[in-house]
Amino acid sequence: MDIYDVLLRDFPFLLKGLGVAIVLLVALLMIGFVLGLGICLVQLYGPRSRLVQWPLMLYERIFRGVPIIIMLFIFFYGISGVWDISAFGAAVLAMGLRSAAYQSQIFRSAFQSVPTGQMMAARAMGMSKIKAIRHIVFPQAGRHAIGPWTNEFSSQIKETSLAYVIGVVELTRQAHYIITSTQGNVLTVFAVVALLYFILNRAGNSLLYAFERKLAVPGFEK
Amino acid sequence: MADDLILDVQDIKKAYDGLEVLKGIGFGLRKGETKVLIGPSGSGKSTLLRCINYLTVPDAGRIYLNGDEVLDTNIDAMRARMGFVFQDFNLFSHLTVLDNVRICQVKVKGTDKAVATQRAHRELERVGLSDKADAYPAELSGGQQQRVSIARALAMDPDVLLFDEPTSALDPELTGEVVRVMQQLAAEGMTMVVVTHEMSFARQAADEIIFMENGHIIEQGPPEAMFTESTHERTRAFLNVIAEHG
Repeated sequence: MDIYDVLLRDFPFLLKGLGVAIVLLVALLMIGFVLGLGICLVQLYGPRSRLVQWPLMLYERIFRGVPIIIMLFIFFYGISGVWDISAFGAAVLAMGLRSAAYQSQIFRSAFQSVPTGQMMAARAMGMSKIKAIRHIVFPQAGRHAIGPWTNEFSSQIKETSLAYVIGVVELTRQAHYIITSTQGNVLTVFAVVALLYFILNRAGNSLLYAFERKLAVPGFEK
Repeated sequence: MADDLILDVQDIKKAYDGLEVLKGIGFGLRKGETKVLIGPSGSGKSTLLRCINYLTVPDAGRIYLNGDEVLDTNIDAMRARMGFVFQDFNLFSHLTVLDNVRICQVKVKGTDKAVATQRAHRELERVGLSDKADAYPAELSGGQQQRVSIARALAMDPDVLLFDEPTSALDPELTGEVVRVMQQLAAEGMTMVVVTHEMSFARQAADEIIFMENGHIIEQGPPEAMFTESTHERTRAFLNVIAEHG
């Protein structure tokens, strides 16, 4: 049996691994989105008290300043000592929290790129701060954020492969299984895997660009 | 306070880092009146206007709108009753012209969307922009944007309209179309406070002109009196300079 037959036979396993990678990706991006947006809103519009702002800043600095592979180890081995967490759960948590730190900065600069006059006009018309953020500032900031967010999306697809190190059976680990079982053929197998990551990346990027174009405001230059 | 005043501004003070910009200013406005605030740059005109709707929170003084005091606690409701027109328009750039004029009716006053749409179309017609309802702000000229922002304020059915140098960001050609809309509003009996350097507007549309300098009101009176027989040296000097430079 040559490697191509093996690849053909085991392709469903690769697809399954790709599926796990996608679920991991979606979960971590969602955690990152909700938490990141929350952090950004508190940083920009929340109380200025140090009691609130410092922990957020500390969180953001730590998660942006430590390699993800270390975070994966800390979350998996650290948490599993006190609570029975799956490798997948630890990966979602570690990578989601890390993405939140990055996404909070993406959103922050997007919100800050909206001219202050927009908030002022909304408030002058009688909108509360929350209404003004929701109806006026967020729709504009959101549009500005899609570009940088696409970048975060691409990085995170690639980083899902690191979950391999704590034993998550995602695409890279499935590939490794095939390589181990066939003794060699490293290049061929990883070339196929690289192609799968690449296709997923391009597809996601195209969708996000289409979304960005669809939301573009006529005559409005960023 | 007098009962017939729509807007009653009493003894407003404001300082920035110890520098007093407003040193206790008051004036009143009856229904249908137009008052124009003039004065050199830095005299505090815009700060005063912004104090009225708390875009700048005054250090001292009271403001009453139709008998209700403007306070931190009721500010959103009070602002909904005061239209504000900015120097640089500040139209909501992600919304069409129609949505700009409609959104605050719906989100602030809770007006039914169909009713708000009708009202928006009516106000756009009033400022001569019916045909631009589906355009976005960035597709309009400055004059058109300012007229939309006037329509946006009018659609809230405000008790009073505040204009903060509405033509200062426009070239002379576009200034005319905005001034014409404002003159028409004044003639229709809209209650307005206008900070402007457009002396033709002040002369033609104002019931009273208030001349400010260094955080004080130097002089106030009907336009004819101010333009022709001002007793104050400073007012005359200012008006002469304005007259020379347009």
